[in-house]
Amino acid sequence: MDFKKILLAVDESENAMRAVDYVGRIVSDGTSFQVQLLCIERLPHRDLYPDEDTWKKACEVARSDMKAFMNKARDRLVKLDVPDSAISEQYVTSCISPFTDTAPKCSRGTSVAHEILEALKAGGFGTVVVGRRGVSKAEEFLFGSVSNKIIHSAKDCTVWVVS
Amino acid sequence: MPSVKELVKQYQPDLHVRDYGRVVVDTSEFMSIDSGDVIAIDGKHYLVFRDAVERGFTYTDTKYWVKKCKELETGDAKLLKLVFHESFYLEYGCVKIKCFRSPRKEARMLDLVHGDTRFMQGHSARDSAGNQVRIIDIIQGKRIDQVVANIPTDHETYFHDHYPAILDRFIGACEAIAYLHDKGERHGDINLDHLMKEHATGAYRWIDFDYAYEAYANPFALDLFGLGRILACITGKWLYSPQTLLELEIKADISQLDNEDFSCVHKNEIMNLKKLFPYIPTRLNNVLLHFSEKSEVFYDTAWEFTEELRTCQDPDQ
Repeated sequence: MDFKKILLAVDESENAMRAVDYVGRIVSDGTSFQVQLLCIERLPHRDLYPDEDTWKKACEVARSDMKAFMNKARDRLVKLDVPDSAISEQYVTSCISPFTDTAPKCSRGTSVAHEILEALKAGGFGTVVVGRRGVSKAEEFLFGSVSNKIIHSAKDCTVWVVS
Repeated sequence: MPSVKELVKQYQPDLHVRDYGRVVVDTSEFMSIDSGDVIAIDGKHYLVFRDAVERGFTYTDTKYWVKKCKELETGDAKLLKLVFHESFYLEYGCVKIKCFRSPRKEARMLDLVHGDTRFMQGHSARDSAGNQVRIIDIIQGKRIDQVVANIPTDHETYFHDHYPAILDRFIGACEAIAYLHDKGERHGDINLDHLMKEHATGAYRWIDFDYAYEAYANPFALDLFGLGRILACITGKWLYSPQTLLELEIKADISQLDNEDFSCVHKNEIMNLKKLFPYIPTRLNNVLLHFSEKSEVFYDTAWEFTEELRTCQDPDQ
């Protein structure tokens, strides 16, 4: 397990940016760290819109926001002296989208945590980092908690939860 | 186009209708569609009797977009759900969830469960304005909480004599929800009034699939929690709070209850039913405790929940 190979899972939330900030500060003085920014795309659900056109427009906005966040996160890491060459990005598109994506792998959206762990295993990462919202038990039950699921399910790696 | 009088005379001559009903082909203005009107859609004619009404203990909610009808060609009772795009906050216990009423979700679900009697049956059709109207077969039956509450016996007799068969049917209903999840769909509004026991067959059938909400990290959790709450209701013969225990004169020592015995979402509902009814097996009670404030681990899937319930049917456990 190479704990210096870090998978940093982000969405477009403030908690994710806190995690980015934390990773940047921890690894900035090290030379052998590698950081991969991972974003599992979560598009708005089609049933929330009266027709396909409105849904597609909402998805375009959501995708654009998430990609802008990835750029912002990368800039932040660089600003914190993480070498640009040590940063990579992985954007996993949603399987249920109005776009015609051709990526070999897509997100089913049923468990973001498991998809993060799959990426962890596939990429041979030794550390996974996620932000945490801080939710009540009821909210955790009903809406799910990515960080808790990762804590419970991760094996052979280090888990950093930034709250 | 024939008038309402002419249509009724042709198909249901024994019916009496008022003189001023109209034939509606565009259902967009559903508030103005009234008793005695006929909705013409997809080559069929539906005589409107009244708006559907949802009744709770403390409220009566008229659903102006849902019309109780008779299909004139067949004489069958039908429910026509007209297009009403609505978003609102559902207060689910202590949590607020932004919900959307989605005609196209329900239409898609009706196609998915066509011929599967674990669910209400129906189909969708477009009116002249392109509105996706859902035409639903009416289930003659009773909601599940009323079924168990109306069994005229004390809890212990109910639990030993009636509950095993009820649990078995409920597990079947849970497997129906697991099937939906396998297909990437959610019921969306699993509640006591949306699981019906059909009078004629005794079958448990799910109704009303038009709620949609944002997916979050755990898209099936709301369905799962609904199942847990129904399990508490059928196991207890009612959903109990300290107040209802008093009202129903259930002999239980309320002082024995602590915070961890209550639902983590509906904070006044008791999930640790073993404290009320000590003969409830521990294994079954443990399933209920997954939905309590005490729980640290939740069910990930409806299958996981149903499989654990199946083990509770084993009399040796």
